[in-house]
Amino acid sequence: MNAPNTARKLIKPFYFNTSEHLLRIGRERACTLNELLHALQVCPEDSIFQHTYSTLQEHHFIRQGFSNDFAHWSLSSCHEPILAEQLASVDVREYTSISGLRQHMIELVRDFLAAHPRSADRSATEPFYFCAADLVVLPTPFVTNNIESFLEGLRKVTLHSIHHHFIEARLRLRLMTNDFSEWLKEEAGLEQTAAAIDRIDIYTNTMEGVRRQIARIVEQSLN
Amino acid sequence: MNPVDNPAILSRSQESRTPVESKIPSLRPVPAPIHPHGRPLPKYVTTPPTPPPPPHLDDYAGIIGKQQIETLHFLAEELRGRRVKMVNSTAVGGGVAEMLNRLVPMLSELEVHTQWDVITGGNDFFEVTKAFHNALHGAPYELTRSAQDIFLMYNEQNRQRMNFDDDFVIIHDPQPAALIRARNDHAAKWIWRCHIDLSNPHPDVWQFLRPFIEQFDAAIFSSQSFARQLPIPQYLFYPCIDPLSEKNKELDDTFVQKICDDFGIDRSRPIVTQVSRFDRLKDPVGVVHAYKLAKKYVDCQLVLAGGGAADDPEGAAVLQEVKDAAGNDPDIIILDLPPWCGLEINAIQRASTIIVQKSLREGFGLTVTEALWKGKPTIAGAVGGIPNQIIHKLTGVLVHSIEGCAFQIRYLLTHPEFARRIGTAGREHVKENFLMTTNVKRWLLLFRILSGQKPVPIPSDTQSAA
Repeated sequence: MNAPNTARKLIKPFYFNTSEHLLRIGRERACTLNELLHALQVCPEDSIFQHTYSTLQEHHFIRQGFSNDFAHWSLSSCHEPILAEQLASVDVREYTSISGLRQHMIELVRDFLAAHPRSADRSATEPFYFCAADLVVLPTPFVTNNIESFLEGLRKVTLHSIHHHFIEARLRLRLMTNDFSEWLKEEAGLEQTAAAIDRIDIYTNTMEGVRRQIARIVEQSLN
Repeated sequence: MNPVDNPAILSRSQESRTPVESKIPSLRPVPAPIHPHGRPLPKYVTTPPTPPPPPHLDDYAGIIGKQQIETLHFLAEELRGRRVKMVNSTAVGGGVAEMLNRLVPMLSELEVHTQWDVITGGNDFFEVTKAFHNALHGAPYELTRSAQDIFLMYNEQNRQRMNFDDDFVIIHDPQPAALIRARNDHAAKWIWRCHIDLSNPHPDVWQFLRPFIEQFDAAIFSSQSFARQLPIPQYLFYPCIDPLSEKNKELDDTFVQKICDDFGIDRSRPIVTQVSRFDRLKDPVGVVHAYKLAKKYVDCQLVLAGGGAADDPEGAAVLQEVKDAAGNDPDIIILDLPPWCGLEINAIQRASTIIVQKSLREGFGLTVTEALWKGKPTIAGAVGGIPNQIIHKLTGVLVHSIEGCAFQIRYLLTHPEFARRIGTAGREHVKENFLMTTNVKRWLLLFRILSGQKPVPIPSDTQSAA
């Protein structure tokens, strides 16, 4: 693996920030899959964000079986395991915009209903209430300009900070990467380390597990 | 040993206490209630203890982490010196007062100066607001002109008596909702915090209240399903528990053992517990039937710990139904406890192998939150706010019938690894979403957003990335 001179001062510091989400109750509501399809088309983008990105932060402690709220509702309230599996397989990190993510979700539900028309208007046991997230970004005390203190910050910040830099970052960067990889690659020249971090699977890990994996990969780059 | 014969229990009021006994509230010499199977309850359950002083924010660092406390300080920085007024209709009793007792000192400690005012009114006012409360939950009601006049007259009296020169005014529940008429005089942001379920309100009462609610800057509900369509932003604040309260704080195992000994609970065998009032909507009789079905396959005891039978005729009737259903089974332990027995409830929950909340209808279900916080595998009815807490098979299990409940008791008792896993995830779920400290964070976020700090926009295809 690449081994940079970690003692050298890196040019641009990394500021660990964190984002906090406040849940707003939306106007849309779905009692059937047809209504879900319609609501997916008309709801604001921050609703799509809430039920895919934010929900991962709210459930960061679950290692497997929870992907996004639409998949969960399709299984628990609509009893449609095929659609649930298809929706659950959507990886938010494959999108750099909410509109692309929304479009994919719409296509999955539309295709499923075309193949299973009798499922379209069957009542769910519980309605799906669309919510939205209001985000506030905050600083943390951790600022780093070398790998050692980067590792220290990584270990100490909250899991919300990890989520902010590792998952939400794609929407800000408009790149298929994250803040950590971007900084390690651009400022520390750790291209392979950055790529290895990008490959961490967030859907089979808790967020604490993601933090540990990032730290382990960065530690290996020091050896 | 029978607790009444145990000198250690009878001497709890004495000055010299062991460290374990010092956690037990002091005594007053009043008669002990009678255990349904003839076993007298310990005397300490008959006397309300003096409430302990509220904890400080730093006391929570060991639970949620130092960084989370720092986040609260960062959030509060821009709000330092701002003044908040909380207004409700009662200073004692009920979940709202209990929550404000913790929230107000925490916000003030963050230098967001928070004052709590209670509205006053005559019996006629509280009769009207009680009727409104029931009607908003869907009960039949005839809204008279006189009831409206009484409601408005007392709100007006309170408006004239109180000052509203704060930066944020938070009105809790419908009783003081008409105080919003004071907002014409001041620039404060007004927030309506609705703690009740408005999903099926009496139309006349809602139409009467709605014009007041629409004048607020924002409304807050405890569940998505409790909200109404309103022209103002509506936020979701889950109810929460205080991890340092008597009911939820960590306990020494010796204390837990002592409570079990006092109540005749055998910790060497599995313990299935439901904690709730003796109320038909909590289905305690259904829990007895589920236990009996499960017991054909697995050995266990059932503890039904609750209250409401002493001061409520319906509660007494339900308690009798539970006793009838229990019959002579010595493994069913029914405890009618007064509301100040938080420590004892805490100990029983911690001693339990499984906790059940087989409600047929529920608000948010804070007893579920308490069970999850203690890392207990929890079985609960899929009603009200419970599905917000229990993600089926991930943070607990949801059931819809007595048979389903019985099966899950059997399954969890025979699959301890699965039970441990959902218990651990359940505790993390509470830590992330349903603790008092998270609630403080939500209030700070809302104050900042209402103060004009625009939330960070989610980048879309029509926006450039920040």
